[in-house]
Amino acid sequence: MVGLTVTSVAKTFGETPVLKGVTLDIADGEFVSLVGPSGCGKSTLLRIIAGLETPDAGQIAIGGADVTAIRAADRNLSMVFQSYALYPHLTVGENIAVPLRMRELNTLQRLPVIGGMMPGASACRRDMSQAVQTAADMLEIRALLQRKPGQLSGGQRQRVALARALVRNPAAFLLDEPLSNLDAKLRVQTRTEIAELHRRLNATFIYVTHDQVEAMTMSDRIAVMMSGEILQCAAPDIIYQDPDDLRVAEFIGSPKINILPLERRAAGVQLFGRSLGWAMPQDAPPLMQLGLRPEALRLTTTDPMVSGRVAHVENLGSEIFAQIAVAEEPVRVTLRAAPADRQRLAIGAQVGLDFDRHAALLFDPDGTRLRQIEAHSTRTYEVA
Amino acid sequence: MAALDSTAPVVRQGRRTHDQARTAWGLTAPAIGLMVLILLVPVAVAALLSFTNYSLGNAGFDWVGTRNYERLFTRSTYEKMFLATFTYVVTVVPISVGLGLGAALLVHALGRIGDIYKTIYFLPVMATLLAMAIAWEFMLHPTIGMVNRTLAMACGSWIDVIPFFAKGCADGFPLWLGDRDYAIWVVCFIGIWQGFGFNMVLYLAGLTSVHRELYHAAEMDGARSAWDRFRLVTWPALGPTTVFVVTITCIRAFQVFDTIEAFWPQGGGPNKSAYVMMFAIFEKGVQQNLIGIGSAITVLFLIFVMALTLIQRWLVERKVHYG
Repeated sequence: MVGLTVTSVAKTFGETPVLKGVTLDIADGEFVSLVGPSGCGKSTLLRIIAGLETPDAGQIAIGGADVTAIRAADRNLSMVFQSYALYPHLTVGENIAVPLRMRELNTLQRLPVIGGMMPGASACRRDMSQAVQTAADMLEIRALLQRKPGQLSGGQRQRVALARALVRNPAAFLLDEPLSNLDAKLRVQTRTEIAELHRRLNATFIYVTHDQVEAMTMSDRIAVMMSGEILQCAAPDIIYQDPDDLRVAEFIGSPKINILPLERRAAGVQLFGRSLGWAMPQDAPPLMQLGLRPEALRLTTTDPMVSGRVAHVENLGSEIFAQIAVAEEPVRVTLRAAPADRQRLAIGAQVGLDFDRHAALLFDPDGTRLRQIEAHSTRTYEVA
Repeated sequence: MAALDSTAPVVRQGRRTHDQARTAWGLTAPAIGLMVLILLVPVAVAALLSFTNYSLGNAGFDWVGTRNYERLFTRSTYEKMFLATFTYVVTVVPISVGLGLGAALLVHALGRIGDIYKTIYFLPVMATLLAMAIAWEFMLHPTIGMVNRTLAMACGSWIDVIPFFAKGCADGFPLWLGDRDYAIWVVCFIGIWQGFGFNMVLYLAGLTSVHRELYHAAEMDGARSAWDRFRLVTWPALGPTTVFVVTITCIRAFQVFDTIEAFWPQGGGPNKSAYVMMFAIFEKGVQQNLIGIGSAITVLFLIFVMALTLIQRWLVERKVHYG
């Protein structure tokens, strides 16, 4: 197992730039998710890493060796496809054995009937069937080895595809939205299994998904991609709590982060015309965006920073999400509340909201995080 | 009273299903009637006539038992018929299927320019074989034909070392259609030339349904050569197409008639070397008005085709549909 480096990779399909100089370092044994909305270039990046697409510019290195010019079959990577891409005419056992057959037997040894008589073939075949059994045991599909893919359920096919990927010992595993064809329940279960598999194999995993929950729950690091760029690549909790960019903050987190307009007036700021009492440096932009996670907001009766009426309530049992229509503004904010607050959140009820200064994220109108201004205002806030 | 009430709905329901069944039969009756009348009755009549000595215009006929069939398997004419037919089928089917597949793979790899090739290869399929046969007859004419004159141009050059040319330059090139050693092969050649474009189109349709991600999976799994990819992905995916193409080509090969009728209207080639089944049916049943023997050949022909179709069904269900 070795690390993997992507250096300023660019790719254009026709006139459309799909990747605009992506750089990514993946350490040995790391689980990195590429996450982003559809069309952000995450699958293209994975396919470039795999060698199935050639980049227009940039470099891919595996274990320090440049592999940009090396074809996919020789890069020593394994891939799980979204459609599983199992060979329909082969049994499960034969499917899992394909990567070994193709690499360890020569053309003559692979021939039907006479292939078995070639020198060295029988020892090779014995090792291969041993490896297939081990992979099948790891994914608990030993009972299915004689079946054809057409006779399997989606979840079983998925396991076969995984077994085919891990039957060899590749430099890294590439997974292209492997869970998107499974139903919700199976997805949760397989998510856990893939994460456990990663811990057990201690191998490098690159996982492409559009589902932020998958990325958050499985990865060591998440690379959030949008329109052909990696906006931020960091551990899941940093991505969630300390995003670099408004687009990252909006993409990660469910329900979505609340974005409210903030106006600078002299040395202070106003939210919906109400002064927040935060000190602002002189170089702060006149208009800013305030990001507040639903759990950063809390109900209050004394001196609320935002007030409005309850417009919609979603009770999930363990928590309640309430949408509050802000008074005299065409804006709704989402609040996460404890079940104990159910009584106060009747539809149409007038409520006041407060939030902690530390939990507020500031972005400029273009969406870039304003860390310096945040630090400055927090400091003065604490002094005050 | 209670018992009556409980049975009444059952009776009513029974009557309703009965009515539905009757309506269903009523509605399908015209189709079934037509099918029997147009498709099954003629076959049955042919089968019956094959046991008689009936001739068109005769008031009656005699039952001759299996005499017509005995003749088919004993007379040398029919031995030649089987030989010519099977030579044609065994030559044309594998070559035209193989060429069709090869052309389809090449055209498929070409993209836009492939359309031009597709059209060119499909031209002979669209043209009437009868008209094409006349063109071939001119080209293959022993003295003034294009083929032999082209071959003669090579005389005197280094190509002379090839025995075929050495012999041709010395004694004249083959008569082609007039030579009993060449006649059936010429017919085979024209059959392949005319038929492989159709197979190519069928294979092209099959190729579009091959899942592209499978090629990527094959590449990731280490299939480096085009042959590996073909064996691992393309050929298995084309299984159903191949079964269909082979069956259709077999049936078309058994049905070869127009070239032979155009080249040799009187008798099926030099020394009956190209006397194929379809031509025999035509000659016996239509030209010589020997309906009994013509019917016997027809029945035999039907049996061959039926056997092929059954084998196809079996293969499709057992081997190539990986459901």
